Amino acid sequence: MVELAQNLIDGLGRGSIYALLALGVAVVFGVMHLLNFAHGELITVSGYAAFWALTNGWSWWIVVPLIVVVAVLTSLVIERVAFSRVRGASDFTLLLTSFGVHFVVSAIFLLYVSASVKNFPRPAWTTSSTWSLGPLQIETFDTVVIVVTMLTLLATNLLLQRTMFGLALRAAAADFDTARLMGVRSDTVIRGAFALSGLLAGIAGVFWLMRAGSTTPSAGIDPMLKGVLAALIGGLGSLRGAVLGGFALGLAEVLLRSWLPGSIAGLTEGFVFALIALLFIFRPQGFVAVAHAERV
Amino acid sequence: MLDVDGLTTRYGAIAALRSASLHVGSGEVIGLIGPNGAGKTTLLGSIAGLLSPDAGTVRFDGADITGAAPEKLLRSGLALVPEHRRIFVDLTVEENLRIGGITVKAAERADLLDEMAETFPVLRDKWETPAGYLSGGEAQQLAIARALMSRPRLLMMDEPSLGLAPVLVDLVFELIERLRSEGRTLLVVEQNAHRMLEVADRAYVLRSGEIVAEGTGSELRARDDLFDTFVGGT
Amino acid sequence: MRPETITSSGRALTWPLLGAAALFAVLVGGGLAYQGLLGTGAAERLVTVMLIDAIVVVGIQIYVGNTGVLSFGHIGFGAIGGYVFALLAIDEAEKLKRIPDAPFGLVGVELPPLLAIVIAVGFAVACAFLVGLGLGRSGAASGAVAATVITLALLFVTHEVARNWPDLTGGDRAGLAFPIRGSLDSRLPIYGGLLIALVVGRMFARSRRGRLAQAAREDDLAARAMGIDPLVQQMLALLISVAVVVMGASLKVWEDGSILPGDFFFQYTLVTLVMLIVGGRNGVTGAVAGVIVMTIGRELARRLGQDGFEVFGIGLDRAPLDWIFRENLQTVFLGVAMLGFMIWRPAGLLDDLEVDDWLRRRFAPADGAPAPALADAAMTTPSRLSVRAVDVRFGGFQALAGAGLEAGGGEVVGIIGPNGAGKTTLVNVLTGMVEPTAGSFSINGRELVGQPAHELARAGLVRTFQNLRLFGALTVEENVEVAALVAAEHHPDRVRQEASALIAHAGLWEHRHRRARELDYGNSRRLELARAAAMAPTFLLLDEPTSGMSDSESVAMVAQVKGMADAIGAGVLVIDHDLAFITGISDRIYVLDSGSVIASGTPDEVQANARVKQAYLGSAAG
Repeated sequence: MVELAQNLIDGLGRGSIYALLALGVAVVFGVMHLLNFAHGELITVSGYAAFWALTNGWSWWIVVPLIVVVAVLTSLVIERVAFSRVRGASDFTLLLTSFGVHFVVSAIFLLYVSASVKNFPRPAWTTSSTWSLGPLQIETFDTVVIVVTMLTLLATNLLLQRTMFGLALRAAAADFDTARLMGVRSDTVIRGAFALSGLLAGIAGVFWLMRAGSTTPSAGIDPMLKGVLAALIGGLGSLRGAVLGGFALGLAEVLLRSWLPGSIAGLTEGFVFALIALLFIFRPQGFVAVAHAERV
Repeated sequence: MLDVDGLTTRYGAIAALRSASLHVGSGEVIGLIGPNGAGKTTLLGSIAGLLSPDAGTVRFDGADITGAAPEKLLRSGLALVPEHRRIFVDLTVEENLRIGGITVKAAERADLLDEMAETFPVLRDKWETPAGYLSGGEAQQLAIARALMSRPRLLMMDEPSLGLAPVLVDLVFELIERLRSEGRTLLVVEQNAHRMLEVADRAYVLRSGEIVAEGTGSELRARDDLFDTFVGGT
Repeated sequence: MRPETITSSGRALTWPLLGAAALFAVLVGGGLAYQGLLGTGAAERLVTVMLIDAIVVVGIQIYVGNTGVLSFGHIGFGAIGGYVFALLAIDEAEKLKRIPDAPFGLVGVELPPLLAIVIAVGFAVACAFLVGLGLGRSGAASGAVAATVITLALLFVTHEVARNWPDLTGGDRAGLAFPIRGSLDSRLPIYGGLLIALVVGRMFARSRRGRLAQAAREDDLAARAMGIDPLVQQMLALLISVAVVVMGASLKVWEDGSILPGDFFFQYTLVTLVMLIVGGRNGVTGAVAGVIVMTIGRELARRLGQDGFEVFGIGLDRAPLDWIFRENLQTVFLGVAMLGFMIWRPAGLLDDLEVDDWLRRRFAPADGAPAPALADAAMTTPSRLSVRAVDVRFGGFQALAGAGLEAGGGEVVGIIGPNGAGKTTLVNVLTGMVEPTAGSFSINGRELVGQPAHELARAGLVRTFQNLRLFGALTVEENVEVAALVAAEHHPDRVRQEASALIAHAGLWEHRHRRARELDYGNSRRLELARAAAMAPTFLLLDEPTSGMSDSESVAMVAQVKGMADAIGAGVLVIDHDLAFITGISDRIYVLDSGSVIASGTPDEVQANARVKQAYLGSAAG
């Protein structure tokens, strides 16, 4: 029982990061129908920024906002350089464009930094500090991740529900052409979606990098895959589904890892993927079905 | 106010609109009538920036707006109520109206919301309801109210009576009548030709992508050859 | 009128085989010339790699090109096959060194490499079948994007398993390897594999299944409305394509002499996908062209990265360009090539042009065959379509309210009504594109409500679309043939006309080798009608067949519709807003308004009906 509770908390902590990543993927998918395989690159670029700053003696207090800012800027630059040129293109083109962005970004780091792992110091409290709640030992890091994620999701919800920008974003996701007829600027709403997506990835990136303590040119693959898969199992196009999908993915990983015998614990990810494949056979539209109307 | 000259729009091999020209003066209510597939929606879409015309020009208050983006056109005072209404079904009635007023200042938007609540009592009763739950007539009123939220100087409507029960069709034409009495400028695509000719100052008749006639209601009704366009060889 | 006459298998395959041979000659000939010219081991190795890449890329093309679904997972299947091959083919002594604890008694297995390839292909194809089931379901529910993500996940699963199951795979660092001099030392197996890949690729594209898959790629909705179940074709394309990819992957392992998890992961996925899209993913020729172009480009980028311009003996001062000519330049080059082509030329260099099509146009004598005529229709048992009290609601919008009608085979029934009356919705219900909220419909008493689109099409309800939905990249002939193929499979008992006779009847005989997307509007409409007729329908549902046509074209269309219907013994339901057209063509007419039938009868009766006038002219005209 205690072990299960402990696992649930671990899973929530991990799932929080995935939820933020998935939400960013879903926001962009909503306005552009683009499944962004380059989403993880925001963390790669932020990771190198963090590496540079920390090895130059900056404190984590400054590096945290730096990571977020770099992620937002990178997201906007990628939109400007690549995605703005393929707006309205076929799914095939959009998917391969984002795949191409992923490769160009990682290749640039390969070219100008190196293929090797760059390590940087992690804040002490992320590794050792815990607090107890009855019989439970809860990591301070997990606590911070969960609290910050909840606050971020709350703020994002307020942004989407209460502001004109949020309203425009939701309208554009539902019917892009009609939103433009109402005066919603396509540039504003798409760039806004990329900025929001970058912001969410930046917050997720802070935790991701604090936990990893290193970066490589291909560091973005893992967060990208988690974000994209979580968005997909939540139901493509649904923001609520994306968050749900993120938490579900985090919990599934942690629970599987604790249940699997040690000899095959290394295959956890493989089992998670297999579970996802099964989910798609039985519920192909994901948790939250979104209607994709087709005019005949 | 609006001058369309020689507008041609193609979809691949199909020339849906061939060299169409029309003029809308300030304060006029203009009908655009013709059978299904005649190119009416294409014409409105090409004016409003949803489609890019292959030839011809569109001028609004003298400025060339051919092929401009719809969000830019709306800011210059040109709004379109699209075919099939296209309301945002997951957004509430109020949110739909807010989106319609995205281009006006916040204070003005609040006034406009009050104004719409007053003008369209059915909407006020469903203010917080997702628009997907509205009936056809309510949805059409919402679509029109949403367009009015931008304070357009020229309002274009595409088949506002489409798919409505006869009593609701009456309501739509009463609404057009009322907008006309407020002195608004309207360009309305309608398949219900006779009703349209009653409320319009002038009308253009489209057939197979071309404008084949223009005139006042009585002028057009007097022409037997046009009657065939709507009813066929009776 | 046996199906063979439609596919005309013998002669039709000559050209694709020639095409495959030509591509083989270009790849091998070019490669041999290059290595002969340079005479270095490095050049020889480059050519070998190119030939193996060509096998893998052509394999991926078979799936991606014919179905239009982007897959990241094929290299994952390559990994599965590659490991199976290595586990079976590497000799016992070597395995004892590297993976002494391998499960399933694999250590003792030692097979001839060619046999190992066959087993690897079989194993991977079995895996592909399971994955294909999931792909099909999610793809059908939420579009090709979901399918793509699943293939990506597959790539990761194989990678994770390969890294974390060292007892089987030798893990991340050691991997599996052939003993020294145990690896492939002859190019013959590679030549053989390449020839097989090219022939299979071209043959599949020309085959029945291949063309059905392409039809679904061009227009999924129209394909389903014709009775094609895209999932079946996609599955078949997946299995064949995985077989070819695994053949290439096994050869790659054999040639490299080793396999590591990283060999079949992101980098190789990128390399092969870039080759495919640069050349043009919709054709085997495009795939081969992409392999050649990108092999050259990558080699240049690699050398420039290493040595700068000095490679070419120009001796430019390299220093100012140091920022670009660096190691790993080829990876940037690949990424930029992918991005650039997606942004500026998404169809690739050659699009779907095939070398055999070009050869045929260039060298085959002009086909002066006379236009065949329609055969006399045999008597068929009359069918009866009954539609009862159908309701359709969309949100708050009632599109159909208790609509019903009866139609008999051999009869032309018109459905008329103002815009928004529910005419198209009715056709959508009858063809499974819209599920009715209430009501039912049947043919000859067989209840059909709730069946998926392709089942309804097979039951004989075949439609045309108000906005044309042709298979644009297929020729006129192929558009009609695809329909005839479906009909031959599902209605062997029904009257079928030769595809060529239908094309001739539609007045498209001289256009039969042109692609559908090149036709003008009137011809496109006629082709859509011929295609629908080739489905051997019991009822032909025509949605606004004259929309956008001139009056004289409409009149010609009337004759054509009647001729087609007689020739195939089908009943016809025509929807139109144009009363003149409908009265000219129909035996009986139903008038629809606000989702309900407000009148029915002969054309004369309907025209005399006061309610019809009212619905048509608006309430003021009453």
